This record gives sequence, C-alpha cells and structure tokens, in this order.
Amino acid sequence: MGLLAGGVCTATALWLVSGLTAPIPAAARHGVIIASALVFLARDAGWLRFPMPQNTRQVPQDVMQRHLIKGSLQFGFEMGTSVRTYVSASAPYVLGLALLLAGVDYWSALSAGLGFGLGRAATPLSRLTSTDGVDWDARLIGRLPVITIGTCLVLAVAFTVLFLRI
Amino acid sequence: MTAVRRWLSEPLLPTLLLTVGAVAAAWYSPILTWAIVGGLAGYSLSGSV
Repeated sequence: MGLLAGGVCTATALWLVSGLTAPIPAAARHGVIIASALVFLARDAGWLRFPMPQNTRQVPQDVMQRHLIKGSLQFGFEMGTSVRTYVSASAPYVLGLALLLAGVDYWSALSAGLGFGLGRAATPLSRLTSTDGVDWDARLIGRLPVITIGTCLVLAVAFTVLFLRI
Repeated sequence: MTAVRRWLSEPLLPTLLLTVGAVAAAWYSPILTWAIVGGLAGYSLSGSV
C-alpha cells in the first residue's frame, strides 16, 4: 500500500509540473524522452558516466520497529516515492522525465505511479517466492545488468510506439 | 527448491513478463503501457533499498 501511495504521489507531482513544459513542441519533448532512454541505457551499460541526483540515504530500519503497521506504510511510501533511496538504475529517471515531458493525461501518470509501486513490490515478492534468499540475491546480482539495461531499451521502444501512435 | 519454484522466483522473470506486456500494449492501450513502463522502472531498482 505504501509503495503504491508513494509511486502515485511522485507521479502526481511530476504530472502537475509537466504543464510547464506544454509550450515546447510535442515532437521535441518526445524526442528528448526517447533519446534520454538511450543515453541512460549507455549509462547503465557503463559506456557513459555522469552523476544523477539522488538522496543517498536509506529509510531507517527502526521505522518499522517503532510501529509495525505505520512503519511499514511509511517505509513503503518512502520507497515508492524514491525520495530516500539509492537509485541504482537509470530507468526511473527516464520515467520521471517522461512524466514531465510527455504531456499525458492524469490517468496515464497515475497508472505509471501505480505501476512503479507494484514494480518495486515485485522485488521482495520474487525473493519471497524463492525458499533461499541468499541464492536469490546471488542470482539477482548476476542479472542486474540485463534488467537495468534491458529496461531502458524497452522504455525507448515503448515510448517510440506510444508517441508514434499519437 | 523445486525446479518450478526456482523458475517462478527467477529475478529476470518480472522484467521479461513486463517486456512482453509492454510490446503487446504499446500500440493498443496507452494507459496500460504507462502502468507497465512504471512497473519496469520500479523493478529495475531491485538492486537498491
């Protein structure tokens, strides 16, 4: 629940600000989004190196120790907003830029936020499905480059199709 | 761990399923595509807390 709420919160904030980019021609905005997906793909592949803004702090574990339910909601919310987390992949930046520039309706932005929260929830769910967390962690580390680079590629393709469709 | 459980808990599986979903939805359902794109971006942060 917290993850979904956090994702929706960030998506809503970005959507509200996106109105400021409306004067920019749609073709330019869409081109920047697709190009950014490819640039960030290169970043995740290690071909380009540049810093991106992030609040390099973690949500303290004692948040859940103080009050389990409220703490879990808070933990999930902060993870869903991605305001206090290590951003170890570039795809969220592509998504954020897309929400700022794409000029979509609020339902699309809301869907993106909900999807983001569900995507973040999929990680612990996948780990729970495995009976060996240590083994799952090792498998994840080996697959992270494919996941991060592949995601940017899929975003580039998906946005290209979405914008061609308009 | 059984082979089925190992396959179901494959870390790459969510990305693969969402990729198929994005390809299927992109031309026909923008709202669903945005949801899937969001899911992909969220799951890509699997390496961080």
